[in-house]
Amino acid sequence: MKKHLFIISALIIVLSLVTACAGQPAAEPAPAGEQPAAAFKAGLLAPGPVNDGGWNQTAYEALKRMETDLGAEIGYVEVEMSPAAFEKAFRDFADQGYQFILGHGNEFTDAAVAVAPDYPNTFFFLSSSRFYDPSVPNVIGLNSDSSQPCYAFGYIAAKMGTGAGLIGGMEIPPISESFTGFINGAHAVNPDFPVQVTYLGNWTDTASAKEASISYIDGGANFLLGNADFAGNGVYQAMLEKNVYGFGMFGDNTEKAPQQILANYILDYGAGLVHLADAVKDGTFKPTSNIEFGLVDDDVIYIVYNEGAATPVPQELRDEVAALYSKISSGEIDTLAPVE
Amino acid sequence: MDFVSIKKRLLKFSRSAWTPFAAIPIALGIGAIVLLIAGYNPLQAYAAMWQGAFKDRTAITEVLIKATPLIFIGAGLAVAFRCSIWNIGAEGQFYAGAVAATAVGIYLGDLPRFLLVPLVLIAGASSGALWGMLAAFLKNRFGANEVVTTIMLNYIAIFITGWLVTGPMIETAGLFAQTAKISQNAWLWRFLPPTRLHTGFILAVVVALVLYIIIFKTSLGYTIRAVGINPEAARYAGINVKRKVLLAMAISGGAAGLGGAVEVAAISYRLYQLISPGYGFDGIAVSLLVNNNPLGVIFSGILFGALRSGAEVMQMNAKVPSVLVFLIQGLVVLSVVAFGVYSYVSKEKEE
Amino acid sequence: MELIPSILFLQGILAATWRMATPILYAAVGEVFSEKAGVINIGLEGVMLIGAFSAYSVAFESGSLWLGLLVGILAGILSGLIFAFFTITIKANQIVVGAAFNMIGMGITGFLYRSMYAVSAVPLGLKTFQSVEIPFLSSIPFFGEVLFKHNIMVYGTLLLVPLATFVLYKTAFGLSIRAVGEHPKAADTVGVNVVRMRYVSVMIGTALAAVGGAFLVLAYADQFVEGVVSGRGFIALAVVVFGRWKPWGAFWSSLLFGIFYALQLRIQTMPDVNIPYQFLQALPYLATLVVLVGFNKRRVQAPKTLGVPYK
Repeated sequence: MKKHLFIISALIIVLSLVTACAGQPAAEPAPAGEQPAAAFKAGLLAPGPVNDGGWNQTAYEALKRMETDLGAEIGYVEVEMSPAAFEKAFRDFADQGYQFILGHGNEFTDAAVAVAPDYPNTFFFLSSSRFYDPSVPNVIGLNSDSSQPCYAFGYIAAKMGTGAGLIGGMEIPPISESFTGFINGAHAVNPDFPVQVTYLGNWTDTASAKEASISYIDGGANFLLGNADFAGNGVYQAMLEKNVYGFGMFGDNTEKAPQQILANYILDYGAGLVHLADAVKDGTFKPTSNIEFGLVDDDVIYIVYNEGAATPVPQELRDEVAALYSKISSGEIDTLAPVE
Repeated sequence: MDFVSIKKRLLKFSRSAWTPFAAIPIALGIGAIVLLIAGYNPLQAYAAMWQGAFKDRTAITEVLIKATPLIFIGAGLAVAFRCSIWNIGAEGQFYAGAVAATAVGIYLGDLPRFLLVPLVLIAGASSGALWGMLAAFLKNRFGANEVVTTIMLNYIAIFITGWLVTGPMIETAGLFAQTAKISQNAWLWRFLPPTRLHTGFILAVVVALVLYIIIFKTSLGYTIRAVGINPEAARYAGINVKRKVLLAMAISGGAAGLGGAVEVAAISYRLYQLISPGYGFDGIAVSLLVNNNPLGVIFSGILFGALRSGAEVMQMNAKVPSVLVFLIQGLVVLSVVAFGVYSYVSKEKEE
Repeated sequence: MELIPSILFLQGILAATWRMATPILYAAVGEVFSEKAGVINIGLEGVMLIGAFSAYSVAFESGSLWLGLLVGILAGILSGLIFAFFTITIKANQIVVGAAFNMIGMGITGFLYRSMYAVSAVPLGLKTFQSVEIPFLSSIPFFGEVLFKHNIMVYGTLLLVPLATFVLYKTAFGLSIRAVGEHPKAADTVGVNVVRMRYVSVMIGTALAAVGGAFLVLAYADQFVEGVVSGRGFIALAVVVFGRWKPWGAFWSSLLFGIFYALQLRIQTMPDVNIPYQFLQALPYLATLVVLVGFNKRRVQAPKTLGVPYK
C-alpha cells in the first residue's frame, strides 16, 4: 500500500510540475530587449557539438555574428544525428518565426525541401550544398569550397615537405572535398608526392587521430592535415609532439601547435552569412542560384600564415600561392578535379 | 480468470508501465539541481522541454515518431533479455535492417506498392534477424559470449553501411555519402497529414503486443523464459536450449531490423552513414526500464522519445545543451530502480 | 631494400599497439575484479567518460596531471559506490544500472564540459605525460622504440597486470573476491562479508575504468572532448570475456585488439592499397570475433553468480 501511495504522490508531483510548466509559456523575454516588434530571428541546426573547434563551431560563430552585427535573436540546436530529427527541428524554428535557418550540412537537404513549402517567408540555407531549385525557392545551398584553400596547403606541403597525411572523421563532402583539393595542389607540384587519406569513422576519437598521424610520420610524412571535428585535436597534438608541419582548419588553431602550424585556413562563415541574413531581414533577398564561397570571397575564405612557426612559409612560396588564387578563382585550376 | 486475479494483473501491469513515469520527477529534480549549479533556470529549461514534446498535435506525433525505433528495438530486446541473452547488438541489427530495406526499396522500386512495402519490411526484419542469429550461432557453436560478439558485430555493421553508402550504393550523382531515395512505392503511409505520423508506429505497437503475447501467453514464450531463468534446468526439462537462444536472437534482431526498415521507409527515404544516433543502446534501457515487458516498452519508448524531442527545443529556446537529456534519461532509469517498486530478482522468483 | 621499411612498419605498429591497448586494459582489469566478484558493469563507457572529464578539468584548472589523475580515480570510486549501492544494496539488475551509467556519463560530462568551458577559442590543451625514455634500453634498435619509449601510464600497465594477478590469486583478499563471485553462500558461511567484498570489487573496477578514461586526456590526446572514450568501454567489456576473466588474459586480448587497430591505421596510410577503408576500420573488430571463435576450444565459464545479486 505504501508503494501505491508513493506512486500516486509521485504522479501528483509530475502532473503539478507539468501543469506548472505548461502554465509558464516558454516565450522568452526578448534578449537585449532591443527590437520590440518581430525581431529578426536566425537559427542553426548543427550536426554536432558547437564547441568542436571545427566545422560546427564555424557555424555557431557565424550565428553569434548575426547576433552582434544584426541584432538578430539567435537559437541553435545540436540535432540528434538521425534524419528523423531534422524535419522537426526545422519546423520548430520556422514555427517560432525564424526567418533565417541554417542546416549545417548537406544531410539536411531532404528535410529542408520537405518543410520549406509550408513556410514561404522563411529561408532555409544548407551548408556544404549546391542545392538550387526554383520550385522550392526558399531553400538555398551555400557551399564554402574548402578544396580551394586546401589546394594551396597541398601546394605548400609538396614544396616544403616529404609527404603528407590527411586525417578525416568520416567521408562527407566538407571533409573529402578538402582532401581532394589538397591532393590536387600537392600533385600540381609533384605528381609523385606521397599523400594519403585516413578516415577514423567517428568525430570524437582524439587518440586514434593522433595515432593515425603518428603512422604517417613513421612512414616519412612531415605534413599533417586533420579535418575531423573534435578528433582533429589529436592531429594538432601529433604535430606538436612529433614536431612536424601542419595546417589549421576552419579557424585559427595556431596555439595548438605554435611552432608547427604553418598556416590556418579561416572560414569566416559569419562574414559570408551576415550579408545574406541582412538581405533576408530587409526582404531584399531574391536568390536566383545557389551560393558558392571561395577564395574569391576573401573575407569569407582565406589563409593566414603563421609567422611564429619554426620555419615560416618563405615569401617566394607565398607569392606562388597568391598567384594560384586567381587561377583558382577564374576556374583555370579545378581544385576538385577527380583524383586517382 | 476471476475478478480478483484480473484486478491483480491490471494492477501489476499498470505498476510496471507507470513506474517510469513516476520516476520522472526525481530524475527531473536531480537534473534541476545540476541545471542550477551550472547557472541555468531549470523551470525555463523544463518548460521549453515540455513545449517541445507536447505543445501541439504535430509535436506529439513527432514524439511518437522518435519513439518508433525505440519501441521496435526495445520490444525485441525484451525477448532476448528474458532469455538471458545479453544482446548489446541491436544497433548493428538496426543497421542491417536499414541496409536491406533500402536495397529492396531502390532496386525493386518498380514493384507495385502493395508488394513493395511488405517486401521492404520483410527484408529489413530478416536481415536484422540474420545479423542477430549470427551472434546466436557463434554462441551455440563456438561458445562465443554474445556480449562480445554483438558489440563487434555492431561495429562491423556500421562500417559495412559506411562502405555501401560511400561506394556501391552511393546516389547516382555520387557527391554525397548517401544512397538514392527509395522508390515512392516503398514509402509507408503517413496517415495523419500534415504530421509525419506513419503506419510504422502502429506496426511498432503491434509488434510489441505480439511479442508480449508470445513471451507471456504461449508455451514458446514460457520455454524462452525458462531458458533465461535457468538454462541447466531447462535442458533437464527437455528444452532445446540452443534453439531457443537462436530463436530469441532472431526475434530480437528481427524487431530491430524492422525498426531500421521503418526508419528508412517512413522517415529518411534513403540510407546515410549514420542512420541511427544510437537507438540500439537507448533500446537497452527502454527495455530494462519496464522489466523487459514488451508492452511496457511502448510507454518507456514514448518517454524516451519525448525526452529527446523536448531536449532539442530546450536547447533552441532555453539555450541549455541538449546533451543534458542523456543525464536525465540515465537518472530516470536509476530512479525507477530506486523506487524499488519491483526488484528484478523478486520478479524472477514470482514466475 | 624492402626489408628496412617493413621492419620500421612493424616497429611502428608494435609501438602503437601498447599505447592503443592501455586505456582498454585499465578498464578491463578493473572489470575483471568486478566480474570475479559477480558484478557485471556494462557502464564502463560512462565511468571512463566521468574519469576522463574529472581528470581533465582538475588537471586543467590546477596544472597538475597527478592531481587530475587522483581526482579522476576518486570520481571513479564514487561512481562505483553509486553503482554498488544500486546493484548490491538495492539488488537492481546490473545491466539496467550499467546502461543508466552509460547515459549518465555521457550526459553529465558533456553538459558540464559545455557549461564550464563554453564555446571558446581559448586552447584547452594540457601538457600531457611525456614519453619516458628508459636509459640504455630505449636505444636498442627496434625494441627500444617498441617497448621503452612510452609515457608513465603506459608503463603502469606492466605493474598493474602482475599486481592484479597477485592480488586475485595469491592473497586472502583475492580469494574472497573470487569466492563471492563463485559461491557467495559458502563464502558467507565461512565469514566473508559478501556485500562488502562486492562493494570493494566494484569500486576497484570503476576506479581503474576511470584511470583508463583519464589516460585518454592526460597521456594521449591533451584535451577532453565529448564522447572522447569512443566505445573503448564496450571493447574493454569484450576484452574481459575474451581474456577469460584473468588480468593476463585481458592484457593479451587488449594487445591483440590494439595491434589490429594500429595495423588498420597503418594500412590506411599506405599508397596503392585498394581495400575500402571501411573494411580496414572493421579489421580489429572482425579479428577479435575470429580469434574468439577460433581459439575458444577450452571453454571458460564466467564467474558463476555473474549478474546475480546476493541476498
